[in-house]
Amino acid sequence: MADDGVLDEGTETAALRDVLAAEHAAVWGYGTVGAALPPESRASAVAAEIAHRDVRDRLVALLDARGAEPVPREAGYTLPFPVLSPVDAATLAVVLEEGVSAAWAGLLDRAVEPAVRELAVGELGAAEVRAVGWRRAAGRIPVTDAFPGLPEG
Amino acid sequence: MAPSPTPAPAGFSRRALLASSVGLALLAAGCTAGSSGAGVGTEEADRLAEQVAVQEAVVAAYALATTADPALALSDLAAQATEQLERLRAAAPSPGTPSAAASTAGAAPPSPPPGADVRTWLREQVAVAAEAHARAAVAQTGARAALLGSIAAGLRGHEAALA
Repeated sequence: MADDGVLDEGTETAALRDVLAAEHAAVWGYGTVGAALPPESRASAVAAEIAHRDVRDRLVALLDARGAEPVPREAGYTLPFPVLSPVDAATLAVVLEEGVSAAWAGLLDRAVEPAVRELAVGELGAAEVRAVGWRRAAGRIPVTDAFPGLPEG
Repeated sequence: MAPSPTPAPAGFSRRALLASSVGLALLAAGCTAGSSGAGVGTEEADRLAEQVAVQEAVVAAYALATTADPALALSDLAAQATEQLERLRAAAPSPGTPSAAASTAGAAPPSPPPGADVRTWLREQVAVAAEAHARAAVAQTGARAALLGSIAAGLRGHEAALA
């Protein structure tokens, strides 16, 4: 939501840029997730990375089409914790999916175009479905989140 | 995930949603997000009431599934469905006066057919509700869209957990 509470194309574009920044980080992070998993367990990480690359490219095209500069990927990212085991990898994947979920929910909050909200709600659901699998792999209970992307409390 | 040495991208903390949470607080108090001080319009109120009814059906489906097959251990998912219902009720401006459409939309689902796989039946009920909330999110704006979209996503997660 804009500071004055008014939704317009500017708030939507800003939120799209936030989502793109999160997707860049997710693409990068899944490289670490995959590297920490044994080969027989990497299929989910590869599929998730491809999904995030696809939506990242779609966001870049969307921002280009409206004349807004896409957010570039950062030169480097810092892991939130050491990733030394498959459980660490799954936990990192949960962080990645919850990060993009927050950005997609933020876009829902600030979007003006129904087509943009449709994109956001679809991707928010896809991120939560992936997160369920990673929470299970990380041994987290419950494996689901009642309000993906929304602030706690 | 934080780029180094700059701060984390907005999408990686929940800071980006601080404004949204403010909007939700206003919504719980009966104000329209994006038009401070104004009440929610009749059409929007009906849409929210419809989604309250849809979520009531989800809560009822969890209760029916638990009765039909207590071994399914659905307590976590059922509790989340109830939490979602409570948040929707708090956001709906006139929960006591749903439209006729809303009243019918939330009719409790029939019990699982005899001999049916209860988990599969429950997953189908959840999927229908998730789709309804997703459509409603697209039709709403601001904090209401975020709330409905989040609940739709949460139920997609339930579908995955029940698979």
